[in-house]
Amino acid sequence: MLFPLESTLKADAKTVAGSGEYDVVIVGSGISGAIIAKQAAEAGKRVLMLEAGTGANITLAGYDDLLTTFYSAVSKDNQSPFPVNANAAMPRSPKLRKLQAGETDSSTYIVQSGPYVSDTTYTRIFGGTTMHWEAKTPRMLRSDFKTRSIFGQGLDWPLSFEEIEDDYRLAEREIGVSANVEDQQYLGQTFPGDYVFPMRGLPLSYLDQQVNKGIEGTSVELCGKTYPLKVRPYPQGRNSIPNPAYDGGKGYRPIGAVDTHQVEEGGRCQGNTNCVPLCPVQARYHSGKTLAKAFAKNAKAGERLVELLAQAVASKVDIDPDNGKVRSLEVKVYKDPASAAHETITVKGKVFVFAAGAIETARLMLASGLRSTSGLVGRNLMDHAYLLNWALMPQICGTMRGTSSTGGIVDLRDGPFRERQAAFAIDIHNDGWGWATGAPTSDLLELVDDRNLHGADLRRGMVDRVSRQLLLAFMLEVMPDESNRITVDPQYTDALGNMRPILSFTVPEYTMKGAAYGRRFARTVFARLGAQDHTHYDPSDFGYVAYEGQGYAIRGGNHLAGTHIMGTTRTNSVVDKNQRSWDHENLYLVGGGSMPTIGTANVTLTLAAMCFRSSRDILKYLH
Amino acid sequence: MSNRFEAFLGLSVELTAFSRFDLLGTGLAERYLATLDKVVGVEITDTLLAAFVALPPAEGEARIKAVRTTILGNELLGDVARALIKLWYSGTWFELPLAWMERFGSRPADTTFVVSPDAYVEGLLWKAIGAHPAGAKAPGFGSWAFPPKIPALPELDSKA
Repeated sequence: MLFPLESTLKADAKTVAGSGEYDVVIVGSGISGAIIAKQAAEAGKRVLMLEAGTGANITLAGYDDLLTTFYSAVSKDNQSPFPVNANAAMPRSPKLRKLQAGETDSSTYIVQSGPYVSDTTYTRIFGGTTMHWEAKTPRMLRSDFKTRSIFGQGLDWPLSFEEIEDDYRLAEREIGVSANVEDQQYLGQTFPGDYVFPMRGLPLSYLDQQVNKGIEGTSVELCGKTYPLKVRPYPQGRNSIPNPAYDGGKGYRPIGAVDTHQVEEGGRCQGNTNCVPLCPVQARYHSGKTLAKAFAKNAKAGERLVELLAQAVASKVDIDPDNGKVRSLEVKVYKDPASAAHETITVKGKVFVFAAGAIETARLMLASGLRSTSGLVGRNLMDHAYLLNWALMPQICGTMRGTSSTGGIVDLRDGPFRERQAAFAIDIHNDGWGWATGAPTSDLLELVDDRNLHGADLRRGMVDRVSRQLLLAFMLEVMPDESNRITVDPQYTDALGNMRPILSFTVPEYTMKGAAYGRRFARTVFARLGAQDHTHYDPSDFGYVAYEGQGYAIRGGNHLAGTHIMGTTRTNSVVDKNQRSWDHENLYLVGGGSMPTIGTANVTLTLAAMCFRSSRDILKYLH
Repeated sequence: MSNRFEAFLGLSVELTAFSRFDLLGTGLAERYLATLDKVVGVEITDTLLAAFVALPPAEGEARIKAVRTTILGNELLGDVARALIKLWYSGTWFELPLAWMERFGSRPADTTFVVSPDAYVEGLLWKAIGAHPAGAKAPGFGSWAFPPKIPALPELDSKA
């Protein structure tokens, strides 16, 4: 896919400020902003997109620089490809530490106000968090949209599954989802008669198959119901083999790497086992692919419909006191990531879209004093809680090969037990214990330094230790809770003087009940596999949570949601079901933040679907 | 090739159980010897190489025992040799233990660092387990669905 060369010309701050009113001003170049920019450009609207990061990775050379940074990084954490930029700082998990009771830690970008310390991350560069996401794309289940009515937990959405289903299909097309319908029909999920995903499902890994062999045909009992166990493939936003039956037989053309020059790469996943933090060949979707289509509208129209202003950090929202509309946006534009020197410009538009992710969007609103009528801006912060369980399989499973994750155990995503405890989806990590222990480097250090192995014993030891690794990551449902929130405080600011997000979070008891059950569930699975359980949770771990006499290390899933939830009235929510602000009629707060619940689905597909919906509403508003 | 480089290569074969072919194939052997020289100094590197050259021409268990007693169990050389193993396997030089620095003096260049982007990509640990470095040398679409091909241990000729 080609970026038109002129689209990569950096828009000039002065020109942007002096160019009058845009139809749509979008903050953030992640998937939400990209979809809305593309839909608006296709309707002939003039769009300005603001990106806090440098935008250097818009070209293949810039993207490859991220890969080189990753190769050179001692810590290969999920933000390691992305250079430090104090003007658009982002959370980085290796820097966290456990808090004492009542303590606040402001040494990292997100101020951790506790009691739980979250290692959640998002990426502030061109492409947003789709530059680092793993690209699992399950749909939410029908019941996930009405957990309050069905289970007496969480909140009901103002939308039903049926109302969002068409948009799920648009999102699956945009991302290029690889999955087989027959694999996704569990738990009552249905697809219209002729529907197929754009591409065929990615094959299960050899590790997945070994696990499946050990558990298929067995089941577990929970709250009087039986759940069969099986390893099922996840739908993925990674390029596979196009399905010729897609779109009524028209087929699907995958989008590979994007650049200003013709490039033949990324048309199909090659098995780099590195979806997170960066697919080296761009076979994994990132929002640059959608933006390339948006920019392509420029050339066709013969004028610049979509402009990208990088190194531009939205800092304050200006509201017209007479009608509540957003009048303009104050933006700090820096010249060099190594310096805080910047100029402040004012940007005007008919419609404003904040698509900066659940934390940064809430931060921008709160820093502007906009808490909304409901007072819910920043509240109901959610992120999936992950509980990791790891073991050694009895046989060699070829761990460390594949795309990051291909399969998992997902039959406990729904059931009557959700009246009392969280549902979960388990994914099997093809990179073994990496997430939990830092494998395989941590294994190397142990074998060389502590076990005193060298030569042939070391080679055999590495195979024995690494190639049998199995990690079951339990992605646990987290329900909205108003006291879990993002706030701001003028005493905590970043290099540009923008207020940083402060995170206060307690893992809800509902989730911990699910975690406690999950730990028992993992032990049952390990017993059936004959796998040696190596799981241990260190009380000094930053994410350690004690529950009913046991301790668990809870990890963030980077599935941020809930800081500007959608609802039915201005008193119970921040935005309506089109993600339009109740208080400011020309402002849309889009992305995970609008989701009232997240079920056990990674949030990206759902928020992408919602942005197609919002695009239609924005175009209607503009007409 | 100089005798010094030959000795370094022989030592590396002994410690890693990868063949000269594999080690030279990484394109990093000279750079790793230079890394040793830079981090711990030429003198200690020469002592390590001399200890390897002086190993008795034994085979099997006797050879392993000799490596353990004269190199890996040597108070000065053991930690350096272990750092060299980790370097070959991961491309990262890992800072020497505090106890070593306290006894033999800290070295300014002795920090944990990745020698170069290609050093990560050429880490031997991935080859040892029949995998590929995460983010490089991709084995191809769908290859993950099949059992791994774990390479057999080569006939080594470090003593030659």
